[in-house]
Amino acid sequence: MSAADGMSQSGVSQAGRRPGVAGWLMLAPMLVWLAAFVVVPMAILAIYSFCERDELGRVVFSFSTDSYVRVFSPVYLGIFARSIGYAALTTAICIVLGFPVAWVIARASEAWRARLLLLVMIPFWTSFLIRTYAWLTILKSDGLLSALLQHIRIVGAPLELLYTPTAVVIGLVYAYLPFMILPIYASAEKLDVALVEAAHDLGCGPLRTFREVIVPLTKPGIYAGVLLVFVPAIGMFAITDLMGGARVPMIGNVIQNQFFQARDWPFGAALGVVFTLMFVVSYWILQRRSAAA
Amino acid sequence: MKIIRLLTAVSFLGFVSGTRAAELNLFAWSEYVPQTVIDGFTKETKIKVNYETFASGEEMLAKMLAGGASYDLVQPPDYIAEVLIRNKLLTPIDAKKLPNLKNVAPEFLGMPHDPEQKFTVPFMIGTVGIVVNTDVVKEPIRGYKDVFQPKFKNRIVVVNDNRELVSWVLVTLGLDQNDITPANLAKVKPVLAEWIKLVKVFDSDSPKTALLSGEVDLGVVWSGEAARLYEEDKKFAYILPEEGAHPFVDVMAIPANAENVDAAHKFLDYILRPEVSKLISDEFPYTNPNLEARKLLSEEQLENPASYPKIENYDTFRDIGKAATLIDQLVTDLKSAQ
Amino acid sequence: MLRGVAMKQPHASRRTPFHGMRALDWSLRTWTAGVFGFLYLPILVLVVYSFNESRLNVVWQGFTTKWYAQLWSNAPLMKALKNSLVIAGVTTVVSVVVGTTGAWLLHRYRFRGSRAIQTLVGIPMMMPEIIMGISLLVLFSTIGMRLGFTTVIIAHVTFCFPFVLVAVQARLAGLDPALEEAALDLGATPLKAFWLVVVPYLRPAIVSGALMAFTLSMDEVIVTYFTTSPGSATLPLRIFGMAKVGLNPMLNALSAVFVLFTIAFVLFSAHLKRISR
Repeated sequence: MSAADGMSQSGVSQAGRRPGVAGWLMLAPMLVWLAAFVVVPMAILAIYSFCERDELGRVVFSFSTDSYVRVFSPVYLGIFARSIGYAALTTAICIVLGFPVAWVIARASEAWRARLLLLVMIPFWTSFLIRTYAWLTILKSDGLLSALLQHIRIVGAPLELLYTPTAVVIGLVYAYLPFMILPIYASAEKLDVALVEAAHDLGCGPLRTFREVIVPLTKPGIYAGVLLVFVPAIGMFAITDLMGGARVPMIGNVIQNQFFQARDWPFGAALGVVFTLMFVVSYWILQRRSAAA
Repeated sequence: MKIIRLLTAVSFLGFVSGTRAAELNLFAWSEYVPQTVIDGFTKETKIKVNYETFASGEEMLAKMLAGGASYDLVQPPDYIAEVLIRNKLLTPIDAKKLPNLKNVAPEFLGMPHDPEQKFTVPFMIGTVGIVVNTDVVKEPIRGYKDVFQPKFKNRIVVVNDNRELVSWVLVTLGLDQNDITPANLAKVKPVLAEWIKLVKVFDSDSPKTALLSGEVDLGVVWSGEAARLYEEDKKFAYILPEEGAHPFVDVMAIPANAENVDAAHKFLDYILRPEVSKLISDEFPYTNPNLEARKLLSEEQLENPASYPKIENYDTFRDIGKAATLIDQLVTDLKSAQ
Repeated sequence: MLRGVAMKQPHASRRTPFHGMRALDWSLRTWTAGVFGFLYLPILVLVVYSFNESRLNVVWQGFTTKWYAQLWSNAPLMKALKNSLVIAGVTTVVSVVVGTTGAWLLHRYRFRGSRAIQTLVGIPMMMPEIIMGISLLVLFSTIGMRLGFTTVIIAHVTFCFPFVLVAVQARLAGLDPALEEAALDLGATPLKAFWLVVVPYLRPAIVSGALMAFTLSMDEVIVTYFTTSPGSATLPLRIFGMAKVGLNPMLNALSAVFVLFTIAFVLFSAHLKRISR
């Protein structure tokens, strides 16, 4: 170890020392904060999920599993399934659209790489609300696409593109695409092109090279991207509300609805708890696969 | 350290600003209290108005009862005011502080939801009815049955109000709109399920937007919205459904935990002034209970069929107690099952 | 085959080396151009129509900047902007303090259960915003805390500071302990050593963490939706409300301004990165 070991004053920064009381005291505020605003709220949520509501919508502390029974009814299981399905579709489309882009950026020259990265950063940092609104401008029946198609007489009446599952998926893909491109780029950038060349030299066609060399080596990036897209997409009610309205109910919208419109907090809490469990499970699975990759 | 001092100062500021004097926390419907009225009030009394909005009676209840928020003035619809009074959540209004209360037409005082006229002041009366873009829909529409036909699929807008939706089906089935029982709701369920599938837009905030932009061709909306549409273009006809309709009385009330009760009374008296009430009618053409204000309205405004419809012998919504839960559950289930 | 590999010149260039791949190369680039078009077209449309005279229609009715002028005079919007800035400002300051201190403590000491602590810190980053929103709403409601600036700031800090912490932690991993020891050997107190040696070293991470916290807070809508009151409505919330009602050229103008700021921000960050190299 370092020569300063024998001369250790209390202030020597040797990472990994035992903390002692002072250390714990200094860390305490942060831990208390996390306990108070992350752990405790989740616990209260779990408790509420076993409560009932009164006529005014206030929570009544009488034990009941009614909310959970309702969550596991076909209607709501269906919504969970639909939300997961759309999120999965969004993730898949993002991978298909985004992978080539990430690859091209990674293989580009220094100057071009910087420019292209900037071009990806800008939508990445632009508020997703604004980007969703941008699509509303195009998709609404009094919007651009409809007006254009009517003008050149492809359709006779305003186009019904909004409030459809398609619109929801478009909105989600548009919002999350940069979140897929960047992690894949990070992985692809580290990939040594010599390996690709070696594969070519060994006679692999582009498809095989892709499948057996490129994909395995960029797996960490892909998993990171999936983590950043899949789970948030399931609960993103702002986008699904704007693009799908009440016609395409997703789990995020239903949960939000329980807290303000339908005022069934126990039910909303139950939905929330189940959603959280779902999220934890998929996060854990993805983490393991990403670590194994 | 400087940073700690800075942080303390900032957080202190946060707490202090919350208890600054002369404020009014107004909790009202979106699209109901004009900014000009609020600005005028602030200018005259120097009281700052924090105007928060909701888009349904249910949402108002949710925010009012949760989150420890304290409002000084709320704007519930009649049946919800009834529930609030029953649960002792409102403070009595001191009529002596409201000299302008005399401007209100007597038939709107002492109504079923507040028989002793102690807790509420009527704000606006309205109805919920059918509005039709007659340029696009040429056939006569007389009631709910005509609106909710498969051929109008995806061309309909309705207010996003659970109680309303259920009541329309009830009257269509010939049942009492206030008779909310599990048996009746079971009869409502299949019909409402069909109707919901035909609706394109659920909007309580501004249903006229979808009609104006041509996104939908007909709808069941608040009368004030219909009146605005009529003012914009006479092609928008307003029809009270033949199966049955109900007037609603939106009132102003002071919650029991209000902090600025005095400011609340000032605001109430302010909006009861004829010229101020007229401003409200100008922007939100519902049925104005203020007789003095009505004298200031134009011929055109008074002739607007949506603003001043012929409605008599119709019942308002009443408090239904625990059954409200059933309605919420039913509509949530149906909306989710698409 | 091996001969081919052995005869390869060491590559300075990173471009795909084979002529046979040109076609693939070109199609990949076209695809990329297409995706960028997809990403930027709506934004361009938005900006172009913010100058459209017409209010409702997409028909071009003349160039005007009146919608931008209207932005300034729109009191609720300006108030929301002010609220957002205040909230983001406070959030950033608190997040930086808590995050930096936390990262430093975790680096310097080996706490029992450090893995659990690390996971706990990571939860707000990964948790779906809607769950964070409803759980905080439920908490504030249970303890009877009034929704407003304080609750929003609490919410924002909770999910922002882990980002600062993680950024600083990453930077600390590369800190040479000899630096601080040298300062101490030269007679500095531990506190001074921290300020004069460690903090300057951490500055890029702190700045980048702060920028991240600020942006996240400014952009946050879901958690804010559940923890706010009208007086503390933030800009994204207002935008959400406006977008729900319908198309609005003022919203186009606002979006264009936002995009402009984002571009400036991105360029600024890139510039900072280049300097810190």
